[in-house]
Amino acid sequence: MLLLMAVPLAMTFYFSLQQCALDLELVTVTQTGPFGSQAVVTQRARQDANGKPIERCEFIGFRHYERILGLDNDTTTSAAKNEAPNEFFAALKFTLTYIISTAPLVLAIGLLLALGVQRLSTRWRAVFITSALLPFIVTPVVAALSIKWLFRDNGLIPFLLSKIGVQVFWMAEAWSAQLLIVLYGVWHSVPFAFIVLFAGLQSVPQDSLEAATIDGASKWQRFIYVTLPHLAPLVVFVLLIHVMDAYRVFEPIVVLTQGAFTTSVQYLTYFVLLQENNPFKASAASVLTMAGIAVLLVPLLIKTYREQRGIA
Amino acid sequence: MNATFLRAGLVVWLIAAPLVAQAKCGLISGKGEINVISNAFSALNDLAKEMESCSRPGLKVTVKITPEARVETERAFATASASPFAAAVVSMGTFSGLYSRGQLQNMTDLAKKYRSRYNIEESMLVRVDGEVMAIAFMKNTQNLFYRKDIFDKHNLKVPVTYAEMLATAATIKSKESSIDFPIAQTFAKGFDSATEFVNLLASHGGRMFKAGSARPEFNSDAGIQAIETMRALLPFMTPNALASNSDDVMNQFQQGKAAMGVLWASRAERMDDPRASKVVGKMEFAAAPKANASGRVAAHLWWDGVVMPKNSGQDRDVVFQVLMEALDEETTRAANDRAIWVRSIYQPTRFGAGVTATAQAGAPIWPTEPFFGLAHGEIGKVLPEALAGKLTPKTALDTAAAAYEKSAADHGFIR
Repeated sequence: MLLLMAVPLAMTFYFSLQQCALDLELVTVTQTGPFGSQAVVTQRARQDANGKPIERCEFIGFRHYERILGLDNDTTTSAAKNEAPNEFFAALKFTLTYIISTAPLVLAIGLLLALGVQRLSTRWRAVFITSALLPFIVTPVVAALSIKWLFRDNGLIPFLLSKIGVQVFWMAEAWSAQLLIVLYGVWHSVPFAFIVLFAGLQSVPQDSLEAATIDGASKWQRFIYVTLPHLAPLVVFVLLIHVMDAYRVFEPIVVLTQGAFTTSVQYLTYFVLLQENNPFKASAASVLTMAGIAVLLVPLLIKTYREQRGIA
Repeated sequence: MNATFLRAGLVVWLIAAPLVAQAKCGLISGKGEINVISNAFSALNDLAKEMESCSRPGLKVTVKITPEARVETERAFATASASPFAAAVVSMGTFSGLYSRGQLQNMTDLAKKYRSRYNIEESMLVRVDGEVMAIAFMKNTQNLFYRKDIFDKHNLKVPVTYAEMLATAATIKSKESSIDFPIAQTFAKGFDSATEFVNLLASHGGRMFKAGSARPEFNSDAGIQAIETMRALLPFMTPNALASNSDDVMNQFQQGKAAMGVLWASRAERMDDPRASKVVGKMEFAAAPKANASGRVAAHLWWDGVVMPKNSGQDRDVVFQVLMEALDEETTRAANDRAIWVRSIYQPTRFGAGVTATAQAGAPIWPTEPFFGLAHGEIGKVLPEALAGKLTPKTALDTAAAAYEKSAADHGFIR
């Protein structure tokens, strides 16, 4: 298990310290096609005796990290440096905002739903649980597309809002675009919190609840002093999973806003890999992303460890 | 008599049907498992079905249709081992990068061998220094979509320049109550807005790179003018414009919420799809506008074609035949309205009128420098900040130029 985790991490780190480039030559070629012929000055890879492009790799240390973190000596004008935010920190900022915004909502709504369903009859429980799990089951890209179609121009939500005189263009400004991503995150993650906490409610010790009732505890007091402490390890578990999941937020950003006013550390890695076509720099972005999640999870992991070891 | 006739007909049909079905790819000899990767839009779906119809015992053809085809193709063609895809359907932007990296198979001999069987026309052959490196099958460009009924109703002329487009938009906004946002264009972050910028930059007389070099030149006065032209359109577009991609813009037209805008010609046919469109028969197509009266039309010409990787593990002869079966005249005839086909038997329709007009207005060919994609990507990343007014156009372009230079240096294009 350690090997399965450690080897990819080590390889990613190793790649992040490298940079490979093709051995290119400047050439003028004549291209012909459906639109006629034109001479093009371009660059072309030199090839070896077997016809394979020649590629040269070099060890560049932490250059990719410096560049991602904005610590390198770049050629950007001072005005641009001052005005354009560092994309990694911008991505980290929104990712953390997303986690902090969604986590309490996911826990609170999940718990409320669990308590509500607990009161339903068995038949209605089955119906509700099945329907509530749908957002969690649907593939994230499909789920994000469905939400986008609901909220975009001519979508159902803007149409219904317009009927009561409210006009919101959800992807027009930073606050609404970010709110939309947060709403998606809550909608997509609440079912998981709900199902885990609902399962936890089934195992709340009835004798403790009865003892509390006999002692004159109110419903609220029974919830605070009996039910909630019983659910505490599950709350930490849900939080742990949600933080890890939310830290990887990606699909709603690509699909809902295409990165307008929103970004994330995962989206940044995607961009470097796809647009810059640079797997080595993308490796550095991945390592920074992993370092970030490690920092975020340390308190939760320590708490879980202490609970497992029975340390107060 | 009738019963005898029917029985005879049935026998003939039972014998002939399999032969007819096989005739499509019946001449292909050879075996293999051929995987092809393709971008996703309607004409390409037709081609995928044609290719897959060549499957038979010993020959299995599958086509992976994905919006991320460019990235997957580049990864597959670059592997040291055999590529998982024996061929790819690519746009010319992807082609130039693959060619530059020496990852494409020379198809000159195959094109010569099968030229007469599949009637491969010279205009389909994409040659670099005489060698056939791709087979093109369709043309594409961004051109003006406009609501003819609204233009006729208010006696408006089709705009030739962006200034005219703005004036027309102002008229529509004031006179046409059904249209809140007269203009719809693809200003989404990334590919869409960067492509609009590149179109306008050229139309303003600017260049992406210094002559004969990979050094950037798009952060010029012409670049600033291109962004200012884009910003001038925003008051007439949906406030969601910075997240509007081709699907969103197409939806705005189909729902009758926009009166004009520049969009891909490959979307034109969908305007008359009664299942999705409320404007069937009402949209017309014209040349993309110019940035100014003396400039070039603000659009580029594209082609889509098929390529084969150098690292293919399949029988190249068989792969080529499967590709050509899908690109034959029959496909063009059957799907005439679905694309602007390269083959000469293509019958131009009103959906292709904008492409013809844009080409006749002097649209240049989409840049083919292998480093172009890197610059395009960096522009698309920062452009929305300028359109939203968070960065000045100059700052945004300088930021993109600096990021591009670093990226181009990583790849060896700039030393």
